[in-house]
Parts: sequence; structure tokens; C-alpha cells
Amino acid sequence: MKKWHLRLRNLMVDYLALPSDVLLELPRLTMIGNFHLYIENHKGLETYSDTELKLKTTNGYVQILGTSFVLKQMLPEEILLEGEIEEIKYIPE
Amino acid sequence: MKSVKSSYISGFVEIEVTGKNPENFLQQCARNGIMLWEIKKPHTEQCTARIQLKDVNKVRKLRRGSKFKIRFLDKQGIPFLKKRISRKKPLLIGLFLSLFLFFILSNMVWQVTVTGVPEELEKKITDQLTSYGVYPGALSFTLESPNQIQQLLLEDVPELLWVGVDKKGTSFYLEGVEKLIIEKDEPAAPRHLIADKSGVIQSMYVRKGLAQVTVNEVVEKGEILVSGAIEKLNTNREEGEDGNEEKEYELVAADGEVVATTWYRAEVTVPLTAEHDELTGNSKETYRIKFGSLSIPIWPLTRSESFEHELVETDEHQVNIFGWQPSIYFLTEKRQETSPKYHERSQEEAIQAGIRQVKNDLLRRLGNDAQIITEKVLHETTEHGKVNLSLYITVEENIAARQPINQGD
Repeated sequence: MKKWHLRLRNLMVDYLALPSDVLLELPRLTMIGNFHLYIENHKGLETYSDTELKLKTTNGYVQILGTSFVLKQMLPEEILLEGEIEEIKYIPE
Repeated sequence: MKSVKSSYISGFVEIEVTGKNPENFLQQCARNGIMLWEIKKPHTEQCTARIQLKDVNKVRKLRRGSKFKIRFLDKQGIPFLKKRISRKKPLLIGLFLSLFLFFILSNMVWQVTVTGVPEELEKKITDQLTSYGVYPGALSFTLESPNQIQQLLLEDVPELLWVGVDKKGTSFYLEGVEKLIIEKDEPAAPRHLIADKSGVIQSMYVRKGLAQVTVNEVVEKGEILVSGAIEKLNTNREEGEDGNEEKEYELVAADGEVVATTWYRAEVTVPLTAEHDELTGNSKETYRIKFGSLSIPIWPLTRSESFEHELVETDEHQVNIFGWQPSIYFLTEKRQETSPKYHERSQEEAIQAGIRQVKNDLLRRLGNDAQIITEKVLHETTEHGKVNLSLYITVEENIAARQPINQGD
């Protein structure tokens, strides 16, 4: 049942050219150089420190590593991260 | 990000969250619709973040029942600024007062300068300007524009040919050109022209009057050269009456030029050794301040040695404090060393120098019209290193002098 649901969504993305992040409820990461990262559609903040930011997503976590992190803005489903970003990792559940 | 900037207007506070995993508390806040920004984590159990002033109560509510501690670190924004300023009322009043004064003072006329016209006209112009409201201390809100003032001045002061009115900041600069009103000469009183000096007449030019002398005639001092009394031609003179009938005269102001040769004798003594000073280039300057008759040296403090031969120039400058002139003077004394140079000259050179000196003296006395024709050395003697000269000089000059005719009544 769930697989069928996902397949329909994938079809809509492919044939109707709808944005994938909206339909598949995936996070959208926009990065400017290595110092700004805009994350939308996350499902919650897991850990945050000076060097690490870990966010919950629909099917796993996004881990961002770097130095001198500051959260420039934090809204329910959006985060703007500033700092020297070194790595972005996807960790499946 | 727009909302972050606008939050300065509505005010924001910086909070410090302490506890285990403080980001969880912030996450909770964000989920409840509180906007957070500038989140930093200096320690593992401490987070700082900024929130809007209107969200403070929401945060407080969320904190209740949780194990986190919140401390307010900083308050910024216009609401806090307002509160702070309202506590410092004297400062605020001072600020407004200073702004007000600045505004008023910069809109005042501070100086009115009139140039290019004689003093009495300047006075007239300043009086006129005062009547228009342009005077030091007047507010320039109500004043007319420089162009209008220019027009008004030209209308009201008939002596002005042109006036330029320039407003530079708080000063008015006026430049005027006076209209030259040529008045017709008043009819001159009847007069004769008489000889000022004795001499031989060289040339005559009579504009008005009756010439009494002719060219090459010798005249004595005081003799009438051109008469201002002209005999009237009496047309209806009746024959038969006795001849020594009183003549009628028409009196005029005699005018003209009578150039005559005059003579002068001059005695002059010329030394054979001429002395003149040459500057050596060494100079010393001293500065002093003078109060009345007391003068205090400023630099150098000690009295400097004077040169053996020197030329001293003293410059006095009165101290001026915004137009107030106390009797304090600033003195600059410049001493320049000189060395005297002696120059021997021959008798011939000495005579020439003597003649030159006499000629210059004479021309200075007689004015520009005079012309020296000849000079002759009558007598010369040399004694004690000096040449004594006796000179005879012939000059051509205008000898006519005016003498009013006394009409008796």
C-alpha cells in the first residue's frame, strides 16, 4: 500500500514536473559557498553545537559538520546556518 | 530574514538557556511559532538566542515545568531605547535645545559687509538694509532674497549705480559701485591771474580774461597777468559828454596758463666720501607683547645682543579679540646686520651728485609741470673733504596764481 503511494508520487514528480521536496516531504538544502546553509522542510533539531548540526528528516537524519556554527534564524521547519561548513551527511534511520 | 530586521523596531531580547541539551528547548520554542535567531552554543549546556519582545511571555510559559533555566542577557530595540531615553530627560531636553539653537543661530544674519563704496554711502546702505531687516542678529526666515534686496537697494539709494548682494551662509556681502554725480561747477567768482613768481614769460594760453602781458616780457611777482575785468563796449555812449566818463567793466573769472622762465639759486654741500649701508644677511627676530608701556619678550627670552651696525624694523600688531581691541600689542622686531661701505669719489662726481640732488629737491617742490631748462655752477670750493656748490637753475613753470577781484560790496 505504501509502496504504491510512493510510486504515484514519483510518477507525479516525473511527469507533472512538480517540485520533489514538496511532494516527497524531503528536506531542501540551499547552500551559498561554504558559509550559508538554508534548510527547509526538516522535521526537528536533533543536536546542535558549535561544530555539528543534526536534523531529523522524513527518513533519517542530515548531519552537517564544520566549525563556528551559528543559527542565524530558526523557524518551525526552516533553519539558516552560518559558519564554516565542511561536510553534509545523510544518515539513514 | 526581513522579520529579523524589523524586530529592532518592535524590540528583541537575548536569552541564555542553561540545562542539558538546551537546543531541545529552542526546538520546542520554534515549534510553538517563536522566531529565534543568532543561536550560539558556547558551552555544551548553554545556548544563547535572540527572540522578539512579544514572544517573551510565550517563552516563559514554555520554561515553566521544564528543567531549563533562562536568563535575559540583553535588551535591544526601540521600545527599550524609548524607556532609556525617557529616564534621561535632561539630556533629551539638552539635545532638543541644542538642535533648536543650532537651527536658529544658523539662520541668523551674522555679518553684513559692504565694500567698494565710500564710508558715508556705506552708512546709508547699512541703514537702508536695517530697514529691510538685514542686520547682524536678524533671523533670515523673513528676509527677502538677495536679488530682491539688490533691486530695493538700487531703488532706494539713488547714489548707487550697481550693487551686488551675495548671501554666503550667515553673512551678507555687498559690493557697490557709486554713481558719479557730476555737479556743474559753480560759476567761479571774478578773479585776476597774477604772477606767483618773477620771470620771463615764455608762452601764454588765456582761456578767459584779458591778457595784460606779452610773451618775452619780464614780470615781477604780484603783477597782473590776465585781467578779469573787461571793459564793456558801450554802444549807446553819447558824444559830447565829457571824456573821463566812468568806464563800465564786466567782471569774469580769468583762466589760463602763463609759462615763464624763473630762476633759482641753491647752495649744496657734497662730501667726497659717500657712505652707504649694505645688509650682510644676518638677522635676528624678537617677539614681544606690549601692555601699555610694558613690553614682555616672548622669544627669545633673553635680550639678544645687538649688532655693531644694524637696521631695526619694528612691526606693531594690535591684538583683536572679535572686534574688541584691548591695548595689547604684539611686537615683531627684526634686526638686520649692516656693514657700512665707504666710497671715494672725485670732485667731478661730487658736483654731479650735488646737481642731481638739487634738481630733485626743486622738482619735488615745484610739482610735475615744472621743467628744468639749465643749471649752472656759479661757484665751487673744496674744504675738509666736502665740496660746496653754488648753483643757478633756470626753470620753466606756470606762474599764474588766482586773485579774486574785490567788488567792494
